[in-house]
Amino acid sequence: MDAYLLIESAGPAGAGGDRFVGDACRLVRQGGDVTLLLTQDGVLGAVADSSPRLGDYLGAGGALWVDAFSLRRRGVAEEDVEPRARLVDMDDVAARLLRPGLRAVWH
Amino acid sequence: MVWTVPHSDVMLKILGAPHQDDLVTSALRLTRALLDQDARVQVWTCGDATRLTSAALGADKPLDPADHRARHPSTAAVIGDLLAAHPERLHWYVCRFCAADRAAPEQIPGVRTRPPSRFWEHVRATDKVLALGVC
Repeated sequence: MDAYLLIESAGPAGAGGDRFVGDACRLVRQGGDVTLLLTQDGVLGAVADSSPRLGDYLGAGGALWVDAFSLRRRGVAEEDVEPRARLVDMDDVAARLLRPGLRAVWH
Repeated sequence: MVWTVPHSDVMLKILGAPHQDDLVTSALRLTRALLDQDARVQVWTCGDATRLTSAALGADKPLDPADHRARHPSTAAVIGDLLAAHPERLHWYVCRFCAADRAAPEQIPGVRTRPPSRFWEHVRATDKVLALGVC
């Protein structure tokens, strides 16, 4: 199974971010082992019900990670975050990035 | 003896304007986390990111007007400390053209300036490339 780490750093309002999550969704539906990491302004997309496209991605079985550091810097409360998301730090990201065969894309 | 690019587990390519968002913080956090897991890391900077390690930055950021006694390290100092702490596993490269185009040809010790035409050698010398900052 192909493994991917897709990193979204831009806010959820942009069309580019929406397409990126759409790409993640398609990779999941094609059988990929996909982790979508929201970082920097991207964490704002993790606020519950803020992104319909993210709901599609999670419904398809994709894993959602949210950078806890970026979340704190923006004053977003953990209880406001999509409950299926996992809060992570850079150690988790580094470990995933080092997995053999994994492909990573930063957007 | 001909110099060759040391092999790395991950290459972080930093593109784009580094101070328009949290990109520098993210790149340095990820670099440190990778080093903490014993990874070999190379960083290649292009564009304005070549100024992160400019020797002209000095050791400290400009005086903080809110607290004149505080001293905050420059990005060059932070990266210099990382390079000194991990001389065998961290290598920092700067695109020569981009640095010259931004009047930053003088870089801190430990940073190697490379011609863009040799970027392919760096891609071949790493298991993975992660490009941060554009598109």
